[in-house]
Amino acid sequence: MIRIGIPQALLHYQYYPMWKTFFEELGAEVLVSPPTTQAMVSSGSSRVIADTCLPVKVFCGHVLYLVGECDFLFIPAIRSVKSKVYNCSKFLGLPDMTKAVIPESPPILDIDIDINKGKRKLYQAIYELGRHFTWNPVKVRRAAIAAFKAHLCYRQLMSSYGLTPPQAIEKISGGVQPKSLSSYPSPTPATIAVIGHPYLLYDEHINHRLIHRLEQAGNRVLTPEMLTDEELESATARLVSRAYWTYEHEVTGAGQHYLESEADGVIGIMTFGCGPDSVMMDMVHRQAARLRTIPFMCLTLEEHTAEAGIVTRLEAFLDMIHRKKRSRLTVCV
Amino acid sequence: MRVGVPHMGNIYIPFKTLFQELNIDFVIPPINNQRTLSLGVKYSPEGLCIPFKLTLGNLIEAAEMGADTLLMPGGSGICRLGYYAKTQEQILHDLGYNVELIQVGVSQHKLFGILQIIKRLSNNAPWTKIISAFRFGLAKLNAMDKIERVVQKVRAVEQIKGTATRLFSEAINAIDRADDYATLKKVQINYVDQLNQISRNPAFQPLIVGITGEFYVVLEPFSNLDVEIELGKLGVEVKRRLFVSEWTKFSWFLNPLGVNEKDRIHKAALPYLKRDIGGDGWESVGEKVLHAKEYDGLVHLAPFTCMPEIVALNIMPSTKENIPVLTILCDEQIAKPGILTRLEAFVDLLERRRQAKNNRRQRVTV
Repeated sequence: MIRIGIPQALLHYQYYPMWKTFFEELGAEVLVSPPTTQAMVSSGSSRVIADTCLPVKVFCGHVLYLVGECDFLFIPAIRSVKSKVYNCSKFLGLPDMTKAVIPESPPILDIDIDINKGKRKLYQAIYELGRHFTWNPVKVRRAAIAAFKAHLCYRQLMSSYGLTPPQAIEKISGGVQPKSLSSYPSPTPATIAVIGHPYLLYDEHINHRLIHRLEQAGNRVLTPEMLTDEELESATARLVSRAYWTYEHEVTGAGQHYLESEADGVIGIMTFGCGPDSVMMDMVHRQAARLRTIPFMCLTLEEHTAEAGIVTRLEAFLDMIHRKKRSRLTVCV
Repeated sequence: MRVGVPHMGNIYIPFKTLFQELNIDFVIPPINNQRTLSLGVKYSPEGLCIPFKLTLGNLIEAAEMGADTLLMPGGSGICRLGYYAKTQEQILHDLGYNVELIQVGVSQHKLFGILQIIKRLSNNAPWTKIISAFRFGLAKLNAMDKIERVVQKVRAVEQIKGTATRLFSEAINAIDRADDYATLKKVQINYVDQLNQISRNPAFQPLIVGITGEFYVVLEPFSNLDVEIELGKLGVEVKRRLFVSEWTKFSWFLNPLGVNEKDRIHKAALPYLKRDIGGDGWESVGEKVLHAKEYDGLVHLAPFTCMPEIVALNIMPSTKENIPVLTILCDEQIAKPGILTRLEAFVDLLERRRQAKNNRRQRVTV
């Protein structure tokens, strides 16, 4: 059986159930790298130039883990998933870049996803990907439809049940539910919205278990995936009129939505050197300063970010929110 | 209405001509200087690239001079450039300037879209007037770039260093003053002649170094700390593909007809990078592959945190076609002594490489 390696980094969090279904329908075995470790970050960083952003370094670390474990690596070049909306260069060049910096990597299955080129080109690209397993277009079509259904189901799980991607993936694959959000008691529970790309929010090594820490402190955590596409899109439209980046709604859309919502605080997570985030997070930051309703904090991560620094800032932010809540309570009484 | 434009090299001269001919009230902000950079850095998000910071500095300075309508290049499907205008407008509004930022699409609106923007700015001037003003602006652009090509050659071989650069700045001023085609032509011929007459060292064989990288930092000498002039002083002939006049020629006139100057470069890059990654990343890889045999070395200029160039930087070392590449990441922190040291070391390396190659050739013939 052909073994397809999927690095557990970058777009894995958005599309994993879809990719897995597609390859399994075509009779391949899917192998996912384990969660990020320090060794992966170090080995990935040693391959690329220093200016590359942390998520890409982590991605290279995952690829290095998969070298020798699988027959093919699946690395799509996703240019655009919506009309006239484009992606960061690093996603576009990801297959070529991986090949250049990791010459020993297994052959890479790359597929160009660009909606702007028309449906025909998209179908051709999917068929070309399926050609590695079967020549039969009907089989590829069936696999693609099943994959798309799996993706919709995954999105549904997250937006209507309020699950995070790792929880949803766990649920789809039939594992036990991890501890739910409200299981920690708290005197003044606050609702904290965390915005950012899934590969930052759910990679516990990169963000030093931020969500876990928030929950442990007795807060309810909201993430962009818990909103429906419509909510995200309308919020994006309110802030920047039209989305420019493919994954813009995860930052500006969710940011705008939660800044106007009942949340007690919003935390933005970005990495140093991220092109799209440097402008998008600034948009949210400015909006928060303009609205002056909900406290906003932006955490910039990189491989040198120390746990203590994150914890200190987080504690200070939470203290501020809890004090604000308490003072509001006493005023009411 | 008072119009302002950001700087990039000498691009303000054609704009000035255009606005003067069409009686549009305009301001030209001061040429990029330390204050521009400080203003830009102060009000920009920290992770943005130097082109954003410098153009923001220009726009703030233009707004200080009373401009209320600012032009800014933009468009979709390129890189962060498409988001510049949106962000800069918000920053200017937050600073209290009541300005309108017009995004001039460099990728999606072609020539006609740009002419329409000019028509709007000129208060509906007749099309004939707009087109003649536009043509004259382009003629000035072409004249400047023609002289610059000669300057690049002469700088390397002139005996008194700095003569060509001085003549070039004189030529720019003369072109700026020219108000009809005849004067412009005369200025061009006159300065090309003067440049060719500069006394030069006949036996000296200059090294040839290509300059590639991101559009803005290649074309804006303030952001790359005059890397071309410094290379010229070290006796290096600089070759570069990027010229604003070339860009306008292809992007506005020839690309719609199906002629693409970049096809050759993209084809060269194909084994290493299969697709467009936005910005000038694909071209940077392609130029390394394409010119590996022709040039002695390559200077790759990229803004710090530039997404397409980072991908290109990761791919470039893996190409089979080998040529020394000096990468200079431009940001607000780079300083002249650092760049000079690196350029000198690079030129030394190229010189030694050339000598070694010549020795090998002699040994073979003996």
